[in-house]
Amino acid sequence: MDEDILTTLKILIIGESGVGKSSLLLRFTEDNFDPEQTLTIGVDFKTKKLTIDGNTVKLAIWDTAGQERFRTLTPSYYRDAQGAILVFDVSNHASFAKLETWLNELDTYSTKSNIVKMIVGNKIDVKNREVSREEAMKFARKHQTLYIEASAKTRDGVQTAFEELVQKVIQTPALWESYAGDNIHIGEKGHPPQSGCGSYCSLV
Amino acid sequence: MADVLTETVLPEDLKRFEKIYHEQLYKNDVTPKAQFEYAWCLVRSKYPADIQKGIVLLEELYKTHEEGHRDYLYYLAIGTARLKEYSKALNYVRSFLAIEPGNQQVITLQQTIKKKMEKEGLVGMAMAGGVVLAVGAIVGVGMAIAHKVKS
Repeated sequence: MDEDILTTLKILIIGESGVGKSSLLLRFTEDNFDPEQTLTIGVDFKTKKLTIDGNTVKLAIWDTAGQERFRTLTPSYYRDAQGAILVFDVSNHASFAKLETWLNELDTYSTKSNIVKMIVGNKIDVKNREVSREEAMKFARKHQTLYIEASAKTRDGVQTAFEELVQKVIQTPALWESYAGDNIHIGEKGHPPQSGCGSYCSLV
Repeated sequence: MADVLTETVLPEDLKRFEKIYHEQLYKNDVTPKAQFEYAWCLVRSKYPADIQKGIVLLEELYKTHEEGHRDYLYYLAIGTARLKEYSKALNYVRSFLAIEPGNQQVITLQQTIKKKMEKEGLVGMAMAGGVVLAVGAIVGVGMAIAHKVKS
């Protein structure tokens, strides 16, 4: 039941086309990997519950298409997001160089100024690496974002990336406390269940 | 919570892309990009008339602009599902999956639509069930009265 959920958090995934945004999400939500992952159309959406330090939150994750053709409309999904994952491909330096643009876009369109940002360097299983860990970490420090290396293919770092992001959001109550009102029941443990029937009983 | 079938477009977005589309329409030079962006906003509107209009624009694009076929099919499925035209929506999904059978995004959409149908189907059945019970009760009372009158 929803009663033990602290809050629902809106998380965004952005970055260049083909860096593995949808693959990271598929690995995180379904522990699966599709080597033939297709290009996302517009925006995709998945939910997942996550428990951190005893707090369970529901994540509403919006996975945006990286293709240029969708670029004009995807920023409207940035609204009210509490966390953003910016993905690049460690074997593709151009995708890393574009992070600056993605960060600017986020600053322009996100409505929460303290939105938690995390950069994820994906595809660390690939041999011909073009972006070193040091270079990426330096960039993340400069822009005050979290940084994690991951591989959606091998699972490495995926769970940690989402957990660290969510942990940081939970530690920033200003981001979500206005949303939490409906779900927190302090000192009201054990609501008696409202009889066994669902919403159809009133008809009979 | 909002999902792909319930999240709605911001009115200012709809207006912005409507304006671009109409400016191009006025010059008789509508690009597929402008038409698609406007249609994408329309099918996410809370007003069925907007969604309907978005569907018309997407159908037109589907016939004239092959490059974006998968995008148009996907949003046609979303638009029709939002209008509760579920069998049409599932047809678009099927056409899509005939081309890209393993597409996770579209398989998920298919599941979301089916779940919605099931939920609404159950509500319908429950209502029908309620009516049957009520009629049964009336008949029962009638029979009891008739029985009483006889005896």
